[in-house]
Amino acid sequence: MHKDGNAIAGVLEEIFTVEVTAETRTCQSCGQENAIGAHRLFTGAGYVLRCPNCSDVAATIATVPGDYRVTLFGAWSVQPPQ
Amino acid sequence: MERLAGTEARLSWRVATITESKPESPHAKTLVLDVPGWPGQRAGQHVDIRLTAEDGYQSERSYSIASAPETPALELTIDRVEDGEVSPYLTEEARPGDQFELRGPVGGYFVWEATSDQPLLLVAGGSGLVPLMAILRQHELVGSGAGTRLLLSARTLEDVLYRQELEALRDRAEAVTVHLTLTRDTPPPEWSGWARRVDRAMLEAVGPGPDARPRVYVCGPTPFVEEAAGLLVEIGYDPRSVHTERFGG
Amino acid sequence: MPPISRGFRGRRQTEVDPSRLPPGQYVTKDFPVLSAGPTPHTPLDEWSLSIAGAVGEGRSWSWDEFMDLPNEVVTVDIHCVTKWSKFDTPWRGVPVDRLLEGTEPWGKYVVAWSDGGYTTNLPLADVTDGKAWVAFEYGGEPLEPEHGGPARLLVPHLYFWKSAKWVRGINLAEQDEPGFWESYGYHNYGDPFKEQRYWSD
Repeated sequence: MHKDGNAIAGVLEEIFTVEVTAETRTCQSCGQENAIGAHRLFTGAGYVLRCPNCSDVAATIATVPGDYRVTLFGAWSVQPPQ
Repeated sequence: MERLAGTEARLSWRVATITESKPESPHAKTLVLDVPGWPGQRAGQHVDIRLTAEDGYQSERSYSIASAPETPALELTIDRVEDGEVSPYLTEEARPGDQFELRGPVGGYFVWEATSDQPLLLVAGGSGLVPLMAILRQHELVGSGAGTRLLLSARTLEDVLYRQELEALRDRAEAVTVHLTLTRDTPPPEWSGWARRVDRAMLEAVGPGPDARPRVYVCGPTPFVEEAAGLLVEIGYDPRSVHTERFGG
Repeated sequence: MPPISRGFRGRRQTEVDPSRLPPGQYVTKDFPVLSAGPTPHTPLDEWSLSIAGAVGEGRSWSWDEFMDLPNEVVTVDIHCVTKWSKFDTPWRGVPVDRLLEGTEPWGKYVVAWSDGGYTTNLPLADVTDGKAWVAFEYGGEPLEPEHGGPARLLVPHLYFWKSAKWVRGINLAEQDEPGFWESYGYHNYGDPFKEQRYWSD
């Protein structure tokens, strides 16, 4: 069964260099705003994060050796480090 | 993309050494770890760990931190998953002196601030209790007056993690109430808790109710979290105040 | 060099024929469930499988019609890009050759599409000549939804993300069109024995 954004908090922090699971995303499909940590996490060849309301894709993360290949959907609101 | 200065050390893989292994239930153990340079954590956070076999094969897993931030040594409670790859090793083979890599702490959504005086409702399914225990432990250590309710769903009484500690908490703490429901066993004759899966009536009985505007934390296997969180929203708790952490499964 | 976790071995099968194991893979006895999205649950009376696109007249089968097609049992090794391989997996399915029988496609590429929106692309040559099936049984039992049931594409000679779960159609095209994972960094072809996991391989 799927997990949620919390499960890849470490990976997301490596990508964004700040903690983002408490930040929010407004979905491009349904317009609902949810914390990244509340998004549903699916693990296929790579990670797929989906809107907890409408299931549309919020992010795909492919872990290529030495690199992350990330695609984001919707409006992610991320605070820069203080 | 150039990394911002000062971020490397925080999220790199560190070496953790087991200093103690304590049974919590017939199939769960708490590992006490020495992690040089550990920056400290917030209650509710977790770590990613990585094990490397002699031939270089690696496996990664995430485990919630069980110890309160105020406790110097880092503690993880591992529940043995039948036929699992990592948890049987950690609960049955690993011993003091053994090492693995550890990254963290991570998580900023499923965390509690000790300075908060907002009432708390904690709903745990099985090993979902682990991060909530970190919250409860910190709550006690800082002398928080925030009214706190824990509802724990476990299969059987012997599956209850930290059982003695929870019973002591229930007897001693004024601001904390502990509710237990057992879902599989026929409970012992003097059992005063519930004996069924979490449902709306049970959550309503635990309280505090939407008007108290509590901060809610729900943790456990995914089906448990989805069911409980759905019921909480139905009861009228603000969805934005319901924080969830799903363990899969 | 990371510290070795004394006594840790994982749950791999270690006595394996190395000639069957692609580079970088480990053999498992489990059948891990991986997915890019939630499991769909299309009722069988609403299910259909279609062939369309650069093939002339398209065709489509209801579940009952699909069950009436000739099918076969195949035992194959499968390889997931996440590094696990599973040997001797037993499936029952309809060869894709049979689904395309009688057509004269002018497209050389295929996109398999699934319930839930997943897609994957392959050359037509990699799903014909006995290389691919639409499988509906695993281990003699109906294919479970979490493993792609009621029916999934099965293309064992490529990484298993190409074996689209919950397949509902195969579209032929003249141009190659990257599917879901291929669009996000995974290799366009995906040969496990050449270790073609990512676009840069």
